[in-house]
Amino acid sequence: MRVSGESMLQAGISDGDEVIVDRSKSPQHGDIIIAELDGELTVKRLVITARGVILHAENPHYPDIVVPELSTLSVWGVVTMCLHHV
Amino acid sequence: MFNQSMSKQIALVDVNSFFASCERAFHPALKNVPVVVLSNNDGCVVARSSEAKALGVPMGIPWFKLEGQAKTWGLVARSSNYELYGDLSWRVMELLSRYSSGIEVYSIDESFLEVPRAVPDRNAWGIDIKAAVHQSTGLPVSVGIAPSKTLAKLANHGAKKKPHLQGVCDINRYPPEHLSQILAATPVTGIWGVAGRLGKRLAAMNIHSALDLRDSDERRMRKKFGVTMQRTILELRGVSCIPLEEERTTKNQLIHSRSFSHPVTTAREIEQVIGIYIQKIGARLRAQGSVAKTMTVWAGTSPFSEGESHHPSVRINFEVPTDNQIQLVKAAHSAFLPLVQHGMRYVRLGVVLTGLLPKTAGAVLDIFETSTDKKNIGLLLDSLTPKVEGVPIGLGRAGMKKPPGWSMRRGMLSPRATTHWEELITVKAN
Repeated sequence: MRVSGESMLQAGISDGDEVIVDRSKSPQHGDIIIAELDGELTVKRLVITARGVILHAENPHYPDIVVPELSTLSVWGVVTMCLHHV
Repeated sequence: MFNQSMSKQIALVDVNSFFASCERAFHPALKNVPVVVLSNNDGCVVARSSEAKALGVPMGIPWFKLEGQAKTWGLVARSSNYELYGDLSWRVMELLSRYSSGIEVYSIDESFLEVPRAVPDRNAWGIDIKAAVHQSTGLPVSVGIAPSKTLAKLANHGAKKKPHLQGVCDINRYPPEHLSQILAATPVTGIWGVAGRLGKRLAAMNIHSALDLRDSDERRMRKKFGVTMQRTILELRGVSCIPLEEERTTKNQLIHSRSFSHPVTTAREIEQVIGIYIQKIGARLRAQGSVAKTMTVWAGTSPFSEGESHHPSVRINFEVPTDNQIQLVKAAHSAFLPLVQHGMRYVRLGVVLTGLLPKTAGAVLDIFETSTDKKNIGLLLDSLTPKVEGVPIGLGRAGMKKPPGWSMRRGMLSPRATTHWEELITVKAN
């Protein structure tokens, strides 16, 4: 998949980079995932806490998104690699 | 009702609304939205999501008749993206082959699987398959399990229609009386292999439901309708008569037919279309290592236009079966072009190759073979064409730099997300 936007800069994923997504993996705390959000695919860090599930952006300029439960979140796949354009 | 420990069990796994589901796999926004996929050239509806079916959109309706209402219905149309569907199909079949060593890929979206004897719980096995395909590809499948292919088809149908089954139906779970009720409620034309026309003849014999057919006199029916009918009856009784064809034999017919984006009116343009179509179909013929005995070329005017209609068609038999590009094109030109009426508005043309034989089987010495035939020009063209975009190298007018004006219209095409690097799906990081 090709990334559009800068919310994952601090995870080493820049605008225009390509990422490899493994759909067969089940998402774990700390994984970078592709999630469905309002009919769009978005890339975020999955953070599971006692208070709920957070879709964390790796860029202070972008807000986190809180999801009440993991089951309500549709995860498309887990990012395993990034092809960075230099 | 069947002796389960003895009989072999067969599963039919197919993807629900395959083309529409492929379009959704990479576009979550299309979830729960009515989706239709259009034929080549954005002509007619060839696939519908369940929501589109619920709206009453009929199969085959021309898009121009729907376009007006589409917005109010929230109906989304997509051009057919066969490359995407083909690749996703391959992924599904590859996954299915992990669940059974006996698999027959029956069509682009369905496979028969032999249920391994070691499987302790067939229903759970079916649920596993469904979950695995969904996780890996995002596509929804249904699984029907039964002792015969015909009943597996029926079970699969049930798995789709009854929401409480959640997409998996093992017909062995039903006691005999219940199964009879199911068969009684199934019209005979709903059975695999019983076409509408046959249904009329059966109705005349007072055979209306699958149950009527199952309980008919199988020997008498064989005399009247042939062995295929007898097999269907036995299969309905849970006796497997139609074996898995694991090695699909090479296709014994190849077709390349397309509509044009605008009508073609001159023999000169038709000549060019023929050249390009034969180039495509010839490549497929050689790729499967076959030669053809017969070629049919046809063209047609639009069934929806008011003007005069014309449907010329010609059949060419080759003395020696051939895969030779030049021979095919020359034969098509000399036989078909004289039939073309100048000024007629043709919207569609097709080339069909039949009587296909393995190349080695037809190795008869042709003493009339001319020198060009030996140069393997067809293979040379095949090796050159994939290297450049489109179809820039070909015979005669098929070798144009730019695809001519009539080439296919696909205005609502989704990206070929799994096979073309430039068309990868974009994911938002914002």
